[in-house]
Amino acid sequence: MTQHVSPTANRKEIDLDEVREIMSHFKPRDYQEAQELILSALQEINERFGWVSLEAAEIVAEHLGTTANRIYGLLTFYADFRTEPRGNHFMLLCHGMSCYVAGSSRLVQELADRYGIRDGETTADGELTVQVVNGCLGVCDRAPIVKLDDKYYGNLTVESFNEAIQRAIAAGKSGESAK
Amino acid sequence: MTVYAPLELNRLSSRAEFEALVERAKARWDALWNGDHTVVTVGVGSSSIAKGALDVLAACQQAAAGQPIIVRQVGVDGADWMEVQVQVKRPGAPTVYYGNVEPHEIPDLLAGRLQSKAVGVDGDVAYEGIPPLKEHPFFKYQHRIVLRDVGVIDPESIEDALARGAYSAYLKVLFDLTPEETIAEVTAANLRGRGGAGFPAGVKWESGRKARATPKFVVCNSHEGEPNVYKDRRIHEGDPHRILEGILIACIAVGAERGYNYIGGEYPLAIKRFRKAVQDAERLGLIGKNVLGSGKDVEFRVRTGGGAYICGEGSALMYSIMGVRGQPRTKPPRSVEEGIWKRPTVANNTETLSNIRDIINNGGAWYASIGTEKSAGTKLMTVQGKLKTMGLVEVPMGITLRTLIEEVWGGMRDGYKFKGIQTGGVSAGPLKEEHLDRPVDFDSLTDLGGMLGSGGFVVFDDTVCAVDFARYLTAFNRFESCSKCVPCSRGNPALVEILDRIRFGRGSLSDLALIERTSKHIIELSLCGLGQVAPMPLLGMMKMYPEEFRAHIVDGVCPTGTCPIGSRQTAATTAAAAD
Repeated sequence: MTQHVSPTANRKEIDLDEVREIMSHFKPRDYQEAQELILSALQEINERFGWVSLEAAEIVAEHLGTTANRIYGLLTFYADFRTEPRGNHFMLLCHGMSCYVAGSSRLVQELADRYGIRDGETTADGELTVQVVNGCLGVCDRAPIVKLDDKYYGNLTVESFNEAIQRAIAAGKSGESAK
Repeated sequence: MTVYAPLELNRLSSRAEFEALVERAKARWDALWNGDHTVVTVGVGSSSIAKGALDVLAACQQAAAGQPIIVRQVGVDGADWMEVQVQVKRPGAPTVYYGNVEPHEIPDLLAGRLQSKAVGVDGDVAYEGIPPLKEHPFFKYQHRIVLRDVGVIDPESIEDALARGAYSAYLKVLFDLTPEETIAEVTAANLRGRGGAGFPAGVKWESGRKARATPKFVVCNSHEGEPNVYKDRRIHEGDPHRILEGILIACIAVGAERGYNYIGGEYPLAIKRFRKAVQDAERLGLIGKNVLGSGKDVEFRVRTGGGAYICGEGSALMYSIMGVRGQPRTKPPRSVEEGIWKRPTVANNTETLSNIRDIINNGGAWYASIGTEKSAGTKLMTVQGKLKTMGLVEVPMGITLRTLIEEVWGGMRDGYKFKGIQTGGVSAGPLKEEHLDRPVDFDSLTDLGGMLGSGGFVVFDDTVCAVDFARYLTAFNRFESCSKCVPCSRGNPALVEILDRIRFGRGSLSDLALIERTSKHIIELSLCGLGQVAPMPLLGMMKMYPEEFRAHIVDGVCPTGTCPIGSRQTAATTAAAAD
């Protein structure tokens, strides 16, 4: 069951026209400002599609006068970016200190045991992608907490955690942007 | 209703025009609170949205339709334990604060049938049996400067902010004070950097002003990547104009051509509300060429990070703004000589800059009179763990940990026993019960291996194993190491490996010496401040709980049953999960 989704499996193409549309809002006045806008542009694309493909990175590179290599250097350095598509459902699992002292390690463990996924991975059936948040989701009084698609689930036990996942999967694919 | 309608915002070209707008904003604010209508205010921030604040807001708007009721939203005021919070101000009565409100309760609440959920009232006297909110232990010890308007004003309304004094200090700095006088106030205030290092802001501004290369820049560090701090994002969500004003004042004082705010990408709401504040300020001409006819120009840019803890380090943050990997560089030259685009750059924490308005308006001496002699002013503090009334508070420096834990944050929840408190985020060690009477300021905790840092505390109970916690903290630093220098990028994985050996019951006593030795290398040889403190949490845990480390190694058991050595889990799956 532990299986890393390869970049070619379950690939959801990114609509490149939409990427060009997003980029058209970025109008750097000089070379320095263009550099400063790279991360913002990638963030917008990552937020809209859930990941940044090579083709999208090339468009960004061309628009802002840099190379796709440089863009990949950034995508792989900053934790928020993904270079592979998300599954149908996307979970942010808070592993901040509050969640840790409230037992979030058990949830990380459950993901490995039952779903076969670790930080950044997608289940073999393409249903669920998890990102373990090293920072903090800021809802510490309900720790441990996850954000699954657009909803928060707090004060979790392993049972209620599984229940939330199963319910989300049963309800079908989340919104098209898979936020 | 027309009482609280937005004002027309046009570009202002003089001080008089600005002051006239402030008068209109104040009249609008007074009309809001003194009319014969009811005002319903919902606290909407990232933490309360997780608890259904948007549904509560919608329910209020629905109930208000066709009624003499004004519904408005504000940022969350820090009292996480009473979210979702609704404030109701009826004509002729003080504002009543309701906590833990559910959407379906709104009709009852508006009809006055939900008094059981009323936590307090505004003002000094009780009203209909409800005590004043400021007498609640959570609020009693607070001295709110930075948070004064958080939870009071609508963060997306510059009219609200102006009515409460926003940009009044900026006006002074533009027209009445010289840059030297502005910096003198900040120096007199003894305002020390709130990001953790505690470096005096006045000194930094002074070197920025003296730097001869141009253009110069000012950067507000709103990255806040620690796994236990959420103060800066609450200021952004509750009172963005206060931050913006602080940055603009810094720009004028050091002669910077442009201000930046670098916000962590994981706070979409904070970014949205701050961008709105910048837009409104630009519309009024508070940013741009010849601000209010003063002859001074200032530009502004918002930049967002991508979820790398290291970008909280000054030079890494600047590289991130310049669109490359956020990896620190060796110093000198310091940022104030060579920062963004190799130009002099003054970098301050969000909270530091949020204090500037009141320092300029009330004078540095006033600010220095709050708190302790060496650590002036107030500090935002956040807490995590199984406590009763959790949240963000602003307290004077020098308050004791015991007051914070037992009164402000309400003590441990039933069924949980206090074991220790982790200080300084991932950069320092824990303290125990017997240290709780220490005052909290920049210097008082350091001899114990603790630290104020950015004001994030984590209270842990006796179900948390010291070895496992140390591993968690070390693993965080391993994950967030930027991989530029070897001591940090190789040393931290080595520490995690040793800890895992202990957690799995294969440790030996010599491992403790090995930890000390490896830590020494990391501390002494790492390039940046984050690497230099990475082993501190582990060393602190070993210092405070040596018996637990020994129990794992000598007796082969984990006293709390957390580690694989004392639990049912197989070694292999735990190792996998631990990553």
